[in-house]
Amino acid sequence: MLTMKNINKVFKTDLVETHALRDFNLSVQEGEFVAVTGPSGSGKTTFLNIAGLLEGFTHGDYFLDGVNISNLNDNKAAAIRNEKIGFIFQGFNLIPDLNLAENVEVPLRYRGFSAKERQRRVKEALEKVGLGARMKHLPSQLSGGQQQRVAIARALAGEPRFLLADEPTGNLDSLMARQVMELLEAINKAGTTIIMVTHDPELARRAQRNIQIVDGQVCDFTLYQGGQNHQVDTMEQAAS
Amino acid sequence: MLNIKPIVSSLLRSKSGPILLLMQIILSVAIVANASFIINERLTMMQRDSGIAEQEILTFAIYNFDPSIDATLQNKVDQRILRSLPNVKAAASTNMLPLSGSGWSTTLNLGPDPETAKSTPQVAMYMGTEHTLETFGVTLVEGRNFYADEITDDVNSPNILLLITKALADEVWPNESAVGKTLWAGRDVQVTVIGVVDKMQGAWVDSSDLEYSIIQNVDYSGNSYMVRAEPKHHEALQQQILDALMTENPNRVIDNFQSIAVVKENSYRDHELMVTVLSMMVVLLLLITSLGLTGMVMFNIQRRTKQIGTRRALGATKGDILSLFLTENYIICIVGGLIGGVLAVLLGQQLMQHYDLPQLNLIYPVLTVVGMLLVTTVAVILPARKAANISPAMATRSV
Repeated sequence: MLTMKNINKVFKTDLVETHALRDFNLSVQEGEFVAVTGPSGSGKTTFLNIAGLLEGFTHGDYFLDGVNISNLNDNKAAAIRNEKIGFIFQGFNLIPDLNLAENVEVPLRYRGFSAKERQRRVKEALEKVGLGARMKHLPSQLSGGQQQRVAIARALAGEPRFLLADEPTGNLDSLMARQVMELLEAINKAGTTIIMVTHDPELARRAQRNIQIVDGQVCDFTLYQGGQNHQVDTMEQAAS
Repeated sequence: MLNIKPIVSSLLRSKSGPILLLMQIILSVAIVANASFIINERLTMMQRDSGIAEQEILTFAIYNFDPSIDATLQNKVDQRILRSLPNVKAAASTNMLPLSGSGWSTTLNLGPDPETAKSTPQVAMYMGTEHTLETFGVTLVEGRNFYADEITDDVNSPNILLLITKALADEVWPNESAVGKTLWAGRDVQVTVIGVVDKMQGAWVDSSDLEYSIIQNVDYSGNSYMVRAEPKHHEALQQQILDALMTENPNRVIDNFQSIAVVKENSYRDHELMVTVLSMMVVLLLLITSLGLTGMVMFNIQRRTKQIGTRRALGATKGDILSLFLTENYIICIVGGLIGGVLAVLLGQQLMQHYDLPQLNLIYPVLTVVGMLLVTTVAVILPARKAANISPAMATRSV
């Protein structure tokens, strides 16, 4: 479903060149739950931004559903983000002046859905995350865990091809983190592909596959199957 | 894409900033609408056609201090000299200068009995000769000019003939000719209208009776003279007049040379000052409003950088972000414009009561709101474009 081939991302200043990603290769299959880990500054966020078409890259090819989406203009990239990618951010990124329904509705409005369709999708998405009864509440009236569930509902409402989660439990206490994680697992079991960037090895172990990034490269694949893990050295091995 | 409902919800929830801006727009619309109305009213007043060749008429005053001089005779000699000067089209003495703010006025009756007869409006009363029409540069539209032998030197002459303005003729004798009609100055003095001139304003520019003027067939020996010549000759003519008249009689003072255009300018000076002050106020208010809008948008961009990045990440195009900020501010502007428009009408009513102004024309609040929408667009578009350029990657940054 998602394939990155030899992706390089170089940040240039007058004095230095920094390789945030270096010959980065990754393939994610439909329905997978992939955790991306790595130390600070390793390139996790750069990978997430590129995977989510939030920023471009210097070299390489990025295929989504077999289509090369490496050189899209701004409007086309926005359309793909809107239709195919659901985002879950560490800080939830809800709009404080909008109520829950209006927040979930934001990407649907950009898609151009009718009011009736938007209403149906908002209701369904909020009910899916257990907040169907609180549609008129403001984000500030919710706990952190509930806010992240709203953000998940917002990501799901557009029925994306995959979810990109950036430290989805990073701002939550352990109980709420567990609830959010259970929700993400349930969503994945229902068929949605999830790529999750996290610092937390405990959370990473709950994914089907763990990719470790060090110095802008994939250095390690770990497959978790029934509580046991197998380390593999190359992407080809991981994909096989 | 316009998303008015969530934008309105959002504005209603974040009250303080939008309310301050709203109040600024309400006050601006109320003041700018009335100020524009007054400016336009004053400009229209200043641009009225006086009917007189303002640029061509050079006026001056002659002060005789010698009691032995026959003023009537001297007046006739002086006028002859003036008419003989090179480049002079016409010359005449006058009892009052048009548009000068001072002069003679009267009211005439349509019948002999002042108790029962209908009166004319207050009319400016010029005195002149067969040369006066040409000197003023006014056009005769009906009847005839004075003949030379009809001119008298006596202001109390029983044989007074009148040239009147068309405005006065239409007011007193609507739908019929004024020529040959008689008017009374008191019980005994009859005056006959012999001609109608197209337009010739009186002396008082603020008067509602400015267009009502008459010229009597009296060669008035006062101290005001008018010489009509092309403006390019005025400077040379001034010296020629001095030389010729002082040669004729050196025992007098001749000064205060000015064109009627300058006289008019002086009369409208207060109005011009008001136009300038109000125009500056309008510009200042629009500038302050536009700065307020720009400031508010820039503040919002700074406050909502991550939110804008998030919207971009969720699929908003640059155009959507631009439209978000424009729509937000258009909503404030339209609501402020509607309330400001009502306030403008109420303010206009108060001004009408206290300062003798006509009723505010509703087109002014409407045009002010349209102008305010333009100001909003100009003030918002640049910062909004900056907002539209915020990277969607901002959504994942810790800011």
